[in-house]
Parts: sequence; C-alpha cells; structure tokens
Amino acid sequence: METFGVVVIGAGPGGYPAAIRAAQVGASVALVEREYLGGTCLNWGCIPSKALIHTSDLYAQMRSSASLGLKGESVSFDYAAMAERKDQVVRGLRNGVKQLLAANGVKVFEGTASFENRKRIVVNSKSGNIAIGAEKTIIATGATSSMPGFLPRHERVVESRAFLDLKSVPSRVLVLGGGVIGCEFACMLAQLGVQVTIVEILEDVVAFLDADIRRELRRQMERTLSIRVLTGTSLENIKADEHAARGAAGEEVLEADLLLAALGRKPVTQELQLENAGLKTNPQGFIEVDEYGTTQVSTIYAIGDVTGGPQLAHAATSQGLVAAQNACTRHRRKNEKCIPYCIFTSPEVGAVGLTEQEAQKQGREVKTGKFNFGALGKAQAIGHPSGFVKWIADAKTKQLLGAQVIGVQATDLIAEATIAIRSELTATELAQTIHSHPTLAEAWMEAADVLLGEPIHTIAKRARFSSMRSFNMQEGGSLGYSGAPLF
Amino acid sequence: MVRPITMPKLGQSEEVGTLVRWRKKVGDTVAKGDILFEIETDKALLEVESFFEGTLLKTIVQEGATVPINTTVGFVGDPGEAIPEVAAQPRFEGSAAPPPTPGPAAQPRLPGSAALTLAPARPISTPVEAALVAARPAAQSLRAAGREQPQGLPLQQVAQAGLPRSAAFTPAPEVFRISPRAAKLARESAIDPSPIAGTGPYGRIVERDVKKYLEAKGYYQFRITPAAKRLAAKENIDILTLDGKNASGRITVGVVERAIAEKPQTMSRMRQVIASRLTESFTSTPHFFVTVAVDMTELINFRSELKAQGAPYTVTDFIVKAVALSLVEFPVVNSTTDGKTIRWHSKVHLGLAVNLEQGLVVPVIRAAEELSLAELHDCASELIAKARAGKLTPDEMGGSTFTISNMGMLDIENFTAIINPGESAILAVSSTLKQPVFKDGQIVVRDIMKMTLSSDHRIIDGATAARFSNAIKQKLEEISLWKRLA
Repeated sequence: METFGVVVIGAGPGGYPAAIRAAQVGASVALVEREYLGGTCLNWGCIPSKALIHTSDLYAQMRSSASLGLKGESVSFDYAAMAERKDQVVRGLRNGVKQLLAANGVKVFEGTASFENRKRIVVNSKSGNIAIGAEKTIIATGATSSMPGFLPRHERVVESRAFLDLKSVPSRVLVLGGGVIGCEFACMLAQLGVQVTIVEILEDVVAFLDADIRRELRRQMERTLSIRVLTGTSLENIKADEHAARGAAGEEVLEADLLLAALGRKPVTQELQLENAGLKTNPQGFIEVDEYGTTQVSTIYAIGDVTGGPQLAHAATSQGLVAAQNACTRHRRKNEKCIPYCIFTSPEVGAVGLTEQEAQKQGREVKTGKFNFGALGKAQAIGHPSGFVKWIADAKTKQLLGAQVIGVQATDLIAEATIAIRSELTATELAQTIHSHPTLAEAWMEAADVLLGEPIHTIAKRARFSSMRSFNMQEGGSLGYSGAPLF
Repeated sequence: MVRPITMPKLGQSEEVGTLVRWRKKVGDTVAKGDILFEIETDKALLEVESFFEGTLLKTIVQEGATVPINTTVGFVGDPGEAIPEVAAQPRFEGSAAPPPTPGPAAQPRLPGSAALTLAPARPISTPVEAALVAARPAAQSLRAAGREQPQGLPLQQVAQAGLPRSAAFTPAPEVFRISPRAAKLARESAIDPSPIAGTGPYGRIVERDVKKYLEAKGYYQFRITPAAKRLAAKENIDILTLDGKNASGRITVGVVERAIAEKPQTMSRMRQVIASRLTESFTSTPHFFVTVAVDMTELINFRSELKAQGAPYTVTDFIVKAVALSLVEFPVVNSTTDGKTIRWHSKVHLGLAVNLEQGLVVPVIRAAEELSLAELHDCASELIAKARAGKLTPDEMGGSTFTISNMGMLDIENFTAIINPGESAILAVSSTLKQPVFKDGQIVVRDIMKMTLSSDHRIIDGATAARFSNAIKQKLEEISLWKRLA
C-alpha cells in the first residue's frame, strides 16, 4: 500500500490548490477525484456559466449599441457555438490544472474515495479498488445541486449542471429560486431574449444583500431585462410533460419550456463512509470544522462547500491553502474571515464584509457612504452610468467594515474593498489614496469622501442649497449628481 | 401646572441619591405611578414613580449625577408651560459628561485630558467620594484620604495605585509639560507620553523626544492596522503596552478591543460599598470559624409531610427559627463591640443575605424572636421577593444584629462568611448532601448540612461559638420541637 503525507479528496477549487500547496511545502500528496479535475467550479459552475454570460452580455450590449454610435442591432447568436466555446474554455483550463498537478508531483487517483479507517482510504476506480495510506486527509468533496422530491424527474426540469449541458436555449424559462445561481442564469437567458420568470419563496431575491442593492438589482432585472420576478411566492403542483413544465404560483399557472431549479446545494459525503474515520456530519449534512479547518479527528481536515459556510470557490481555495499549511507545517493559520461575494447578474454585484443591516444587528453605530456611478466620468464614458458603490464603516473609528457594489465590473471592483477591509483600513486612508482617473475604481474613493462628509463629485447633505432641489435626491442623504461630471 | 420632581429620601441614613437612568424622555407623557427614573443608593437600585400627571418638560439632573435629597431633578407639567428658574444646585458630580455606562462613576477622569482642562474651579468631589460620604462612618478614613489628594484628584487613581499597569493609561497627573506638536504626535501614535524624558525648556517634552522614544521602543517596526491605531488613540490605549499581536504579527482591531475590554472599569456604587464594608469588617474584626454538621434527614422528611398537607415552609424557615431561638439563649452572640464596650441587643433583627446579579443585599426580619414559624415564613419570603425585584427600601436593609447566609441551593460542601459590619457573628449555611454517617453502630446514608459560624473573637470565645452552633444543630435535629412549633 502506498502511503502519502496528505491525501486530498476532491479536485475542485478547494482540493487541487490544497494538493499543490501541500506538495510545495514538501509533503507527498495524493489527489482523488471521481469526475473531472477542477470540480464544479471549473466544469459545471463558475467558469462555463461565465463563458456563456460573457457572450450573452456582449450580445445584449451590441443590441443596444445604437447610443454608442454602432449599428449592430442585427446581430444574432448561435447557442450551439456558444456552448462549444464554453466547452473549449473548460477543456483548456482543466488541462492546465492537470499540468500544474503533475509539475508539483501530485499523484492523481481517478475514482471515488471512502475511508476504511482514519489512516486508510480506498479509491474505487474503474480498474478496481486501490487502498492508500494517509497521514493527513483533506476532505474537499464539495456540494451538488439539491433536487427536492417535489420536482418531477423530467428532461424539462433541470438544475444548473444539466442546464449548462444544453445545446440550445428554450424560449420560455421558469427559474425556481431567486438566489445567486437563479438570478445569474435568469439574467443570461433574458439577455438572449428568453422570456424568464423567477419564483422565490423569500421576500426578496438574493436575500443576504443590503436592501438598497437588492432594490437596484431587482429594478434592473425587471425593467432592463424584462424578467418577471415573483417573490414571497412558492411554486406548487409542479408538472412536466412533453409540451411544457408548469407550476402554480398562487392562482396563476406558470408555464415554460424549461424549469431551472436553483434551490441551493447539498454537501457530498455519501460515499466517504465518514463513520469509519470516526467522523459525523451535522444535522444539515455538513462536516463541521474549527477555525483551523480541523474536523473532530485531528488528522482530518475539511474545506469548502462540504463544511457549509459561504459556498464560494474562492473561499474553498483559501480554506484549502490554510488546511494544507496546517496539515503539513507547524505554522498554523486560521481561516480567513473576509470573504468577498461576486454575483454575475446584469448588472453585476459585489459584496464583502458586513452589510449595513448586519452591522446594526451587532449593535454597532455605523456610517455609510454611497456614490452613484452616474456621477463618475468613466462610467458615463463607457455608457454604464447605473449602479453605485457603498461603504459601511464604524461611526467612531471610520474603520471600513463592509462594502457593496452594483454596476458594471462590480465583481472586479470588490477586490479593492476586500483588501481595505481585511487590512482594517479606515475611510480616511481610502479617501486619501490616489485612484487613477478615469476609472470605475474612483467610486470607492468618492464614496469614502461621502462617508466622511466631504465629497467632491456629489453634494454633501450639509452643503445643500435650496437652488439644488432640481438634482435627483438619493436616499442616504447625498444628492446624486446626475449631470455631466466636472472633468 | 408645572410641578418639580425631587430626589426622594429613601431611608434614614440617605443624604444623597444617584440618578442612574431617566426612564422617560423630555416630551414623554407621564401618568401617575409611571416610573420616571432610577436611583442608586448605597444599598440598592430603586425606581421612582411619578405622583403627578402631565408631560416631562425638563430634566435638570443628568444620568449618573449624584445630588442631595430633595434636589429638583426635573419638571412635569402641561406642554408649553413656562419652567421656573432653578437655583444652582450643589452638585456632587460634575455632570458635564454623563457616563455612557450605568453606574454613577463610570469613567475615571483623566487629568491632562479634556476632562481636566474643563474642570471647574469650585471643588468637585467624585461620585466615589460622594458614595462614601453617604455610606458609613466606616468609610470616613477613605474619604479623608480622598480629600488629601492634591487638586481634588479622583479617588479612582488612589484605588488604582499598586495595580499592575494595564494597557489603558491615564496621563501623569502632576504638572506635565509637553508641546502641542509632541502631544499631537503622541495622540496620533496612540501612545502614553508620560514616560518620555523631555529635553525642552523645564523638561518639556517636544516633538523630537516623542520621535526618539518611538524609535527606541521599536514603534516603527509594529505592523499596526490603521483602524486599530485610530481605535487605540480614541480609547487611550497605549500601543506600546499591547501584547499578543495576532497570528500574522499585526496589531489588529481585535488586539486593541481586547485591551479595551481589560481596562479597569469603575464598579457600581453598590459594589463599591460592598467592597469597602467587607474590607472594613474583615480587616478590623478578628474572625474565627466553627463548623458543625447537622443531620437534616428527619427535618426534611417532616417538611415533606407538612408540604403534603399544604404548609409552605422552606428549610430556610426552620433554620431562621432555630437561629432566633438560639440567639435568645446566647445574648452575647446578639451583641456588638467596639473593642471597649459591649452592647447587648434586646431584639433579634435577623439579616438574610440575598444574592442578586448586581451584588449582595441583606434584608432584615425585625424582632424575629417574637415571630411564629408561619410569620417568619411570610416575612422572609416577602423580603426575599422584594430583594429580587429590587424593591427593598433602605430601612428594610439596615439594623440587623445577626446574619444568615444560606448557599444551600448552590451545591457546596462548606464555606465561611464575613461578618456583616455592626454584628458579632454570621452563620454560613451550606448544601444538604447525602453522606455516609456512623449511626447506632452502622454506616447509613443521611442528609447532612454543614454550618459554619464566623464570630468576632473580641467578644465571643471559642467555647461560646461551639455551644451556640450546637444549640442550633440540636434544634434542627430535634423533630419533636418542630412538631410543637409548626
């Protein structure tokens, strides 16, 4: 039996970086994967969906490009070709992961891992069972879409993975669940001209965001993309046949060619036989870990979606690197707490740290500063003047506690806010940092100025004059300067 | 009609009261019987009800201020009515900065900080001192100590002397010469400038001294996050004294927050009085301790029988009765001494120590020896309920001649108590536990309760304490007595 310093189970965005890091610090590493390297993120999640969203976004922009001086209204799309490009991207990246693992000396086992005991793992592969020894184990098996029993098993009812395998787009889609995944796919389909209805049982879409961000997101989805959003509504009596998928939302029967179920994800632990290692899942099915990523068994770590938490690829990656370091070295590290969220809707949303509501719930006195992209030269120049950025800071020290952004490139913009919050910067530092011009990132600096009560490109509450009534009054006290920027 | 609301007199000995919290805001309507504000005396927190109806028009005394009784604290009347001018009140607490936390003396004043420069010329005493003025003669020596401080320095600092230096700092009290630029640099760097040797005129600290000091202390090697630095500066936390950088070697907000949490906090007035009185008692009274084990088996069985018949007695009631009877038999235990004279008390005023979240209160059963078991039960349960609800008046908490501290419900084997000042002994009652006992030639399991008597050895001899303890024990074990009394 071959024995390894570290065995990583699952080669997703948490598992494969963990394997590489463990190898970098000198351990002998085995990585077990039952499907494809890269896991959900690379094969059926982040990457393929973003490949499709990029095309749909570009298509939507071209269709409305007359205002930019282009004549591209007659543009059309070929979904099969879009899907083929998506697959190419995925194949290329998957190959890249394979090379990285090989270069770092990680031995990859194809098959399904299960514990025989704490130190022995059996890989059930096509060529039979292989037993491997493991001094330390990192469980990174992730999660999979949950398909509750009330959903009919029919080709017209799909979850995200099956949806990404489609070679054509239907003309009417019913999206069940208005969370991140549901909203992202809804926006992409709507951009391609599909008639989309979202049904969400909670009171609003993407409920963990601050109310003003949700309001803007919903407004754009409904007005710009003509998506029908039904919240506080459950879809009952769901049926599917060869003609359509149907469900009742209150009195009304909704009908579509396809029902996309985006009802959250459940952890993958079934084949692991955790009990042989002395491990148990919690009542929700997740493997609980401490802040160092350790399970109840000190030699076994768990990371990513299988541990619950934010269910984000980048969170899993970070946890994977921490777990690898903790398993192989004496320099123990805690998991990072400052985790940004990116939502690839149209418009995009980014969020990190505390929301305004969360900060208030903690009993903190907070101050917020909001800045509309409409007042930013770059946003006007590139024709994306909608949306805003927002800082949430401690009222006393002005420490930046949270940030949210909605608008063009929000998912890239959130990186700056993440560094600021993790480094415990204050609004003063942020405001004093020179931001290059003209860029969208300037919005962070401007919003910090707003927070400090001394904004340049918007009118502070205390400096308001009666003659400025004609400006568009924004909530939060600042007046959005919706005219031309000053320079 | 505008009516003044005054600080009520709550007990014989009360001269001042501390207004802890307004429960109504200016503009709130007030009905008769509504609670207007809370006050703290040296014994308890009390709620003050309104005798009038109307609107709270004005509050004069701010939260946290200590004022003499009968001081006007605010006005109730109809909205829009003119409020009479109030003559300047002799304040016991400068109320320029109401403390953010409940309790009268939430923040120590910081000489050298804004609080000192704003301090009025008239002498002000701190709430701590006021509390002690109001408290007991016993506290007089401490008060005098406070008076002797130059410039009326807060007692707080006296109290802090000798404590290990914490990360929180109060700049040095004596004449402290520092240039504005140096002070600004120290403030912005979140460090305490007082240890710096000044090289300016008259030893004044100038900017280069602060810079040199920071350099020498390795300040510039610290990796302190901007928010942590800002927080430390605001909360007067000296960064140089912080220990425990976080795992990545940075001084983060979390590290500073820990230091803030470790700052000395002023105790509530109640806690301060408890502290001074218990210290006084334990250091000036020669305590000694006698423990007896009481076999409670039969009494507990008897009580269960009574309970089945609907009688409400608790084990405490039996102990109270047994103690009252024994005190009549042993007058010396119901006496007090000042070291030269002995004073016998003809009545047994029995104090019951009741533990509350904020501290300990001792309501008193008056003339306990005259009360039947049933009367004792009613009296004790009423007092304990009032104590738990914070409704005891100061007069219900003074004048005891003997105290019982019952920790029976807290599952302890045995403990000793400190004599309540003004008394000669206290009985510490522990839990009743099943124990193997040698009885009639056999080892049997019995319900055993230990009691420890703490006595003032100046007037109570060992043998007296032993006989007194055994007198209580015998009564509790003699079931025929209880059959007669119950």
